[in-house]
Amino acid sequence: MPSSIPRFLCEIAERLPDKVAIVCRTRSATFLQLHQEALATAECLREIGVEPGDRVGICMEKTIDQVSVILGVLFANAVVVPILPRLKESNIRHIVENSGMVALVTDSDRMNEVVGFADITKLIIGHGELDRDWPNLPYMRRFIRPKMFFDRISADNAAIIYSSGSTGRPKGILISHRNLADGTDIVAEYLGTNQEDRICSVLSFNFDYGLNQIWQTIRKGATLYLHNLALPNDLFALLATEKITALPVMPVIITKMFDKRLKLATGSYDFSSLRYVCSTGGRLSDEMLHDFKTTFPSAKIYSMFGLTEAFRSTYLDPSKIDSHPTSIGKAIPDCQVFVFDEQGEECPPNVVGELVHRGATVTKGYWRDPENTAKVFRSHPRFPGETLVFSGDKVRRDEEGYLYFVARGDEMIKTKGFRVSPTEVEAEIVRHPEIVDAVAFAVPNIAVGEDVACAYTTVTRQALPEHILKQYLKANLPNHMVPAYLIHLESFPITGNAGKLDRKAIKQVAFERLGTQQRAVESGSVQV
Amino acid sequence: MTDLEILRDYIRNETGYEGNLDPDLDLLEKQVLDSFSIVQWAMFIQQRFRIELEAEDLVRDNLSSLSKVIALIDSKGSASVGQGEKPN
Repeated sequence: MPSSIPRFLCEIAERLPDKVAIVCRTRSATFLQLHQEALATAECLREIGVEPGDRVGICMEKTIDQVSVILGVLFANAVVVPILPRLKESNIRHIVENSGMVALVTDSDRMNEVVGFADITKLIIGHGELDRDWPNLPYMRRFIRPKMFFDRISADNAAIIYSSGSTGRPKGILISHRNLADGTDIVAEYLGTNQEDRICSVLSFNFDYGLNQIWQTIRKGATLYLHNLALPNDLFALLATEKITALPVMPVIITKMFDKRLKLATGSYDFSSLRYVCSTGGRLSDEMLHDFKTTFPSAKIYSMFGLTEAFRSTYLDPSKIDSHPTSIGKAIPDCQVFVFDEQGEECPPNVVGELVHRGATVTKGYWRDPENTAKVFRSHPRFPGETLVFSGDKVRRDEEGYLYFVARGDEMIKTKGFRVSPTEVEAEIVRHPEIVDAVAFAVPNIAVGEDVACAYTTVTRQALPEHILKQYLKANLPNHMVPAYLIHLESFPITGNAGKLDRKAIKQVAFERLGTQQRAVESGSVQV
Repeated sequence: MTDLEILRDYIRNETGYEGNLDPDLDLLEKQVLDSFSIVQWAMFIQQRFRIELEAEDLVRDNLSSLSKVIALIDSKGSASVGQGEKPN
């Protein structure tokens, strides 16, 4: 059998059938149960008409049922397409249409968010109450005798993960079974994942990073504890009472965990079981490192870096976190990371170039987008016949070989763990009848990566009341895309004779305006 | 205004939620509040009702519905008289 997540689950269900695989509040499932549920889900999906290679959307809250559905889709040799809950209708429509999904699995609670797509895809309930209008997987599973599926090879498509690009709509990154299996083994190797691990899952299963905690659990026979982070004290209680050993997070979660506006219960617990915390998706600030070290003195800190196109590129050896706190480390096992100049030559130490990734985790490209695929997934004369990921990110390497992130190559805004495309924010803002033009950009805020800011001009040349504009945007954009700062400008500077908006100049004026605004108001407008 | 009305007003104004705000509705499960807004929610409750919430009070189970918050405020009520507006 080829290397794949379903294969890992079959193996572990045979080796450790009665071990608890996953815990979610009061419910838990053993590896055998998880395996049976995944197989039964696959069988139900086939029954409903899902064929191998078909795309299946999953828009669910984090529950054991969500894990069963993800695994079931993989067992059915269909393709997992995660859809972030609470996206707006137009964002979901793009993913549904672009992926050409044949079915969309959701919770009974959020059926109303997707019911509008019933004419273009089959809607299925993956968690929650029976509703005679829609097939219900937990109910159907009771009447299905699971059977094995063997029609998968590791080159088959396993998932499409949508991620915002610098221009236009989000692009779907196409991931094979082999990519997932290799990514699992590589991460397990450097994190030392083992059967004694109790992994805390605070991340969403809508991204490759969060999904990897499921794969780690299945691969090594660990136990996964699902947690929806709301208030940090609940997480601290879970870490201590369940003797959690592994805590994968992102900067935005660290900020929430150590929110100084709240009284934290960190002092009243024993966290000595915690073996490591790991983080990716943005730099760890001095304060974050300090909070980790004082709260979890026994835990190693892994600082990691990657982009979905190649899953993960680097990690910093935890023993180097004090000597190289700002480094993103070195290449992960079985991969190489280069710093190339514009001619494709390797940059000497401390010269900034583009991060280029070579190795096992290079994904298959962008779904139905040969043009953008050709830009990022390219060959290099040194490696004939191979595809490398040209990330666009600017990095440098020091004399010892440690890599440092310098800047992103695109205009993407990275906020609260999301990649936000300025064009998407602008497109929504200019739909407001009184707004003429808009330019969105990033404002650094280490707590959340960056805040979204947006400068705009109006028909009347008067500013719109901020709370009214915010209300409008909240109704039309997912929360993470709603600008934290809205800056009204009387007019926008234009470049030379081309008549195009001078984005650089607009940003500069907006930044100046923002500076005075902030001083004047000294408000709580910096959202954490 | 009753405590319940004050809390309802806050939720409606801050989140734009237009659905039914039953006192027992789980605000997190129904995604009225998220992990960002629940912190604002906790701070609003402290300031508006002049109570000081300790680490053991600041858990999901105490803040996830209007009725739970009212119970929390009641439990803190007598002890908190005379405390400042910004206890933190």
